[in-house]
Amino acid sequence: MNKKIFWGFFITVALFSPFIGAVSLHVNNLIDFSSLDAQIFYDIRLPRVVYAFFAGSLLGITGLVFQTLFRNALMTPYTLGISSGATLGAGIAIKLGLSTLLFGIAAVSLFGFLGAVFTIFLLITLSRFLKSSQQVSLLLLGIALSLFYSSALMVVFYLGNSIQNDMLLRFTMGSLSVIGWENPLLLAIVSFFTTVIIYAYRFELQLLGVSKESAELQGLNSKKITLILLLVSSLGIAILVSISGPIGFVGLVVPHMVTKLYPTTIQNRILKTSLFGGFFLLFCDTLTRAVPTQSELPIGIITALIGGPFFIYLIIKGK
Amino acid sequence: MIELHALTCNYNEKVILQDMTLSIPSHVSILGANGSGKSTLAKTICNMITYHGKIIVDGKDIQTYTGKEKAKKIAYIPTKLDFYDEFLTLEEFVLLGRFSHKKNFFDYSFYDKQIAQEQMESLNIIHLKKHTLSSLSSGETALALMAQALTQESEIIIFDEPTANLDPKNSKIIAQHIKKLKQTHQTVVITHDIHFARFLDNHVLFLQEKKALYFKDDFFTDTTLSKLYGVAFSSLDVCYE
Repeated sequence: MNKKIFWGFFITVALFSPFIGAVSLHVNNLIDFSSLDAQIFYDIRLPRVVYAFFAGSLLGITGLVFQTLFRNALMTPYTLGISSGATLGAGIAIKLGLSTLLFGIAAVSLFGFLGAVFTIFLLITLSRFLKSSQQVSLLLLGIALSLFYSSALMVVFYLGNSIQNDMLLRFTMGSLSVIGWENPLLLAIVSFFTTVIIYAYRFELQLLGVSKESAELQGLNSKKITLILLLVSSLGIAILVSISGPIGFVGLVVPHMVTKLYPTTIQNRILKTSLFGGFFLLFCDTLTRAVPTQSELPIGIITALIGGPFFIYLIIKGK
Repeated sequence: MIELHALTCNYNEKVILQDMTLSIPSHVSILGANGSGKSTLAKTICNMITYHGKIIVDGKDIQTYTGKEKAKKIAYIPTKLDFYDEFLTLEEFVLLGRFSHKKNFFDYSFYDKQIAQEQMESLNIIHLKKHTLSSLSSGETALALMAQALTQESEIIIFDEPTANLDPKNSKIIAQHIKKLKQTHQTVVITHDIHFARFLDNHVLFLQEKKALYFKDDFFTDTTLSKLYGVAFSSLDVCYE
């Protein structure tokens, strides 16, 4: 019953979502493709809905994978500093005034991507030095990295002029606004393949759900699988963050909500988490457009406002 | 057939087993004081701990087995089952024993599921199949572990203190199952329970001071036990007074 209400609500929001925003659209005008309403609908609103859905889907499923592999509900690409790495990369690109395209990709995105990838490899390298109680140490590493990146970003702010800083500030708050179909399609493909790969490894994940030792005894190369899944997830996140900036807490909140709705093993939650994440972020994005403000609320703020208290709840509950 | 050649194991930078060479042709019970390296030896045979020397299982170096080949050869049953996924049901857990038989990226076959069912039936835990592992008692968990190992259909099963957490009745149930398994598997049983070991009627490997002593018979006498453990025994029981 609970579940039906959730999904019903989400689907309703998704259907109405493209009609919500600063400019109200008339349905009758949508058939006339030359009208302004139609242009807004087809080139801005619809791509954004698609983009938000796949972004949320990617955030949710990668959060689930991180939490399962590290056996810790607080482990997500965001809490491990991967998003902060991307933000710093993007910040540097903005500061350097690299607004042009490099190899056909926006320099800001490229630098953001490199920042995220750099962080992934840094984490993998550093984690080799960790011994026992690895997960807690790794989480601390991630937090230390995040703090370091934030300070470095402050330096970039300090050096930047006001126009650059405004761009940078927008980026750090995360935004799902897209124009045209290029980014939504890219992200749809990335998100789709990330989900497919993770789903293909569902039996391995199920086995790892018992314990690493047990999985190895059943013949699983847990190191290899862990590395594959972390890399695939991290690269997906790197691409997302390089376009949209960091969007926190979705990867943390969504897997937990799905677990509450469907208390079953991971194998049965992968696709549900992917779907739920998509609808959840779309819902948050619709909120940002529904709230009448001078300029649109950045998505990162909404997810953090929902996710922050939830994060505290998780810590207090101790799981 | 398990053969060890000049096996040396370190655990937390402490030498646990040193230069051990021996062959285990069939069923064996491993006994020894706490910290004598019984579990270390078992885990080393499963290639879970790094070691120096050579371990040959059925004529082939354990290092040359792939993970899945190894799983088809040896199953290891820990004393205590640690698991992270709180929603895992008994049925799902037992089925994981088929992982090494399953094709990569394919679901478990009907045959796999059937074997899991049969093993749960034969161990009388089929009525618990929808229960989560976290809701099972120690006795039921011991049977769950055994069901998974049997589902794995490996040739060798290593039991690491199978009766350590069990009440007398469950100990008896487990002991009888293990004894029955001697007909179909090579069993290696680590235990502290002298009476249980005697009931199993295996050769005994006694670990002491980084070495192994091998007993074909004459282990279960008060004089031998007293000498090995350094406490007085009477009728195979420790004299507490």
